[in-house]
Amino acid sequence: MDTLTRRKFLQLTSGAVAVGATAPLLSMGEIAQAAIDRPLPAGTPILVVITLYGGNDGLNTVIPFTDPIYFSSRPQISYKAETLLPLDAELALNPAMKGVKALWDQKKVAIIRGVGYPDPDRSHFSSMAKWQTASPARHINTGWLGRWVDSQGEDPMLAISLGSVLPPMLAGAKRSGSALPIGGLVIPKGALATECLQLSKPARRDTKLMAAAATSMRNLFSVSTNVQPILRAPAPVSPDLPTTNGGNAGGDSNLAQQLDVVAKLIAAGSPTKIWSVSLGGFDTHANEANAQAALLGVVSDSLSRFMGQLKATTRSNDVTIMVYSEFGRRVVGNGSEGTDHGTSGPMFLIGNSVKGGFYGEQPSLKNLIKGDLAVTTDFRDVYASVLEKVLKSPADPTIGKWGGRVNCFA
Amino acid sequence: MWVWCQLCGFYVGSSKTYSLFTFTPYSLLMNAKRLETSRLFHRFGFGPRPGEYAQAIADGVSPTRTKFLTVPAVDAGASAIKEPEITDLGRRPAPNTAEVVPFAIAMRYQSEQIVLWSLDRMALSDHGLTERMTWFWHGHWATSIQKLNYALPMYNQNKTLRTHALGSFNAMTKAMLNDGALQFWLDGQDSTLKAPNENLGRELMELFVLGVNRYSEEDVKAVARVLTGYQVDRSSGAVTINQNRRDSKPVLLLGTTSTFTGDSLADFLIARDDCATFIAERLWYRFISSNETMPQSFGAKAGFANGSIAGAVSAMASDAVMSNESYSMVKSPVEWFISACRALELTPSQLKTPGQLINQLDKLGQVPFSPPNVGGWPAAEAWLSSATAQYRIAFATWLLKQSSLRALNEIPEPSRVLKSADWLGIPEWSPRTQAALRRSSSNPQQFALLALCSPEFIVSA
Repeated sequence: MDTLTRRKFLQLTSGAVAVGATAPLLSMGEIAQAAIDRPLPAGTPILVVITLYGGNDGLNTVIPFTDPIYFSSRPQISYKAETLLPLDAELALNPAMKGVKALWDQKKVAIIRGVGYPDPDRSHFSSMAKWQTASPARHINTGWLGRWVDSQGEDPMLAISLGSVLPPMLAGAKRSGSALPIGGLVIPKGALATECLQLSKPARRDTKLMAAAATSMRNLFSVSTNVQPILRAPAPVSPDLPTTNGGNAGGDSNLAQQLDVVAKLIAAGSPTKIWSVSLGGFDTHANEANAQAALLGVVSDSLSRFMGQLKATTRSNDVTIMVYSEFGRRVVGNGSEGTDHGTSGPMFLIGNSVKGGFYGEQPSLKNLIKGDLAVTTDFRDVYASVLEKVLKSPADPTIGKWGGRVNCFA
Repeated sequence: MWVWCQLCGFYVGSSKTYSLFTFTPYSLLMNAKRLETSRLFHRFGFGPRPGEYAQAIADGVSPTRTKFLTVPAVDAGASAIKEPEITDLGRRPAPNTAEVVPFAIAMRYQSEQIVLWSLDRMALSDHGLTERMTWFWHGHWATSIQKLNYALPMYNQNKTLRTHALGSFNAMTKAMLNDGALQFWLDGQDSTLKAPNENLGRELMELFVLGVNRYSEEDVKAVARVLTGYQVDRSSGAVTINQNRRDSKPVLLLGTTSTFTGDSLADFLIARDDCATFIAERLWYRFISSNETMPQSFGAKAGFANGSIAGAVSAMASDAVMSNESYSMVKSPVEWFISACRALELTPSQLKTPGQLINQLDKLGQVPFSPPNVGGWPAAEAWLSSATAQYRIAFATWLLKQSSLRALNEIPEPSRVLKSADWLGIPEWSPRTQAALRRSSSNPQQFALLALCSPEFIVSA
């Protein structure tokens, strides 16, 4: 761990104890424990999930650049072969993804092709719900990582989503992940803090939602006392990138900001095993080429910056990044220089413990299913592997009995 | 030992009857009358103004419900609000010209004005239901200014939703298919005979009229063909149909082959039983419970006969679920803010400053005219993160600094804890919250802050 950050983390903790002393629910021991006794043990794997909202066009992300059908299917929005970043003889990355290409060359990127689920649903909301609940056949109220949180001891720091609204993925039946806004949390002080904590106590006749409201107040105190000072500290500097004013350039996008916070907290030893960040805007029904390239550029730049930041910590071998979107898009362009909702798409797993390369079959452009790409890998294959290899947990309790795996971990 | 509690109008258990009124009165069952009246105020309106809840309890549930459901010819509170001056700003001037700066300023100003105007209507209307339904429909036909950029089409859409808020769903749907903001938002203007764009057609069936999985992918393609040819003038929102870009051939839709126009398509879809089911489900989700399943017996579906929105809402308000304790609802940030404004007698547009107000709402994740996507805003636990807890405290602190706290200060300190439930239209405070409030009785600012951030005020019981 970065010692400077570590020291700040502890300083913060001793300041926070004053709140704990008057707080019935947040004991001094609990706060001290979070910061001192239970920083994430060195070597504990950490999962960072990146959700791309809107349906990322997989065919313009990992591009079959030697297949003439690719070019003839979408003349207005296909990329010129010479601009692309070839990965092998058949597939190339979008030209905006130079950062990911560099990580690919270091064998840190697994690309899982044709990922989806049976009977693809083209509704953003239904499809995202299927991905986030890992229950494509029937609607359920818990997210797959929320169920994993349920299986662990109660700890509001265990799974944290950046932003103020919690994604369904992290909602469990008994417990949920916590949400952390980019700007950090400001908690009340003094007598007001005591009374806010009073409001966070359970009451006998609370409805489920009132109890959740009380819990959110409780979590505010326990999450914020632990992370607040760290958020004020500068982000770790990525040694691979040019610096301006002590930080890396190019960190203005919202995704980069989210990952900055994650990098800081990982560096400080936050006892968090799951981080969730996201980027929206992938619903490119019209004028796709520029819009998607800009977004993929943000994803790629943010990822390489984040991986660089981790290098400056002792945790760089522990982190695995997973990138997904709710569906890919139609093969044929729609005439508005965009694409409509489609089916399967590639997933990315990135990290030092990932065996770089391609997994899953590339869906054929010759044998489309009603004009759409086939699903060649079920996302539950990926989830099961991530649960076992990254979170070191059995997959069954979280996603049910599931046989498929993707063997992309070293 | 059972005694009659004057406050909650119910027998309550207490081990120390002699000290009942200094101890904690807390009924074993929630008082049904207080619960149902509270739900009428917080779900069919935007919360009571000082005194209204106590008066409604005195009036009784049935007269209160009738009052809520009867739309007056004139709403004095709402009609006192000045309409904002929203104009057609035309095309964006070329970059780096003298015209572009005033254009950008006007654009931002108008966007802010429509937000303040809609919040004022919610906070100041005497009869809450019309505004409440307009708000519901805004989340239903969720259109965002973030793509359109121009305020005028969004303003006009909001007026259309208000016109039809409790009217005919057929008329509303036809008006919305000709709504420039919705058409532009869902790429309708790019959908042509040669290249139909499925965005509007799919969402029409999935999110607006039928509900997901009540049609096939072939039906999506058919509806996309019917909805070709619309063209939108972006800055004014004017919609025209270009017959040359329109696919007027018959389509096979949900088992029927026919030639449709936008109007006949709306009638055809709304006539399906699935439409009544879907509207009942959406009303259930936004008015009764976002996390419990709708029972088959829920009256809104039958009430929706012939596309009558008022019929569905009225059946919902009279349904037995209204007094069932299982169905609590989290107030969305706007609903929470407006109910606070009504209790504190604040006018949103007069808060200092409008920019700060919109920023506060943005942090909580809900600004009118900017839903996150076409599915509208989330519900239930999504508004209960540790981050929203923080922002709610900061927002309430900011609001209370601008309030005289008249109504709260008029409650004598000794009865402040219990009487404040009536002030805010809350069925009852839990012992937990009573303890926090009691210790803050002599500090009205802190008292009000805790009340507004309590689980009982954040969640409609």
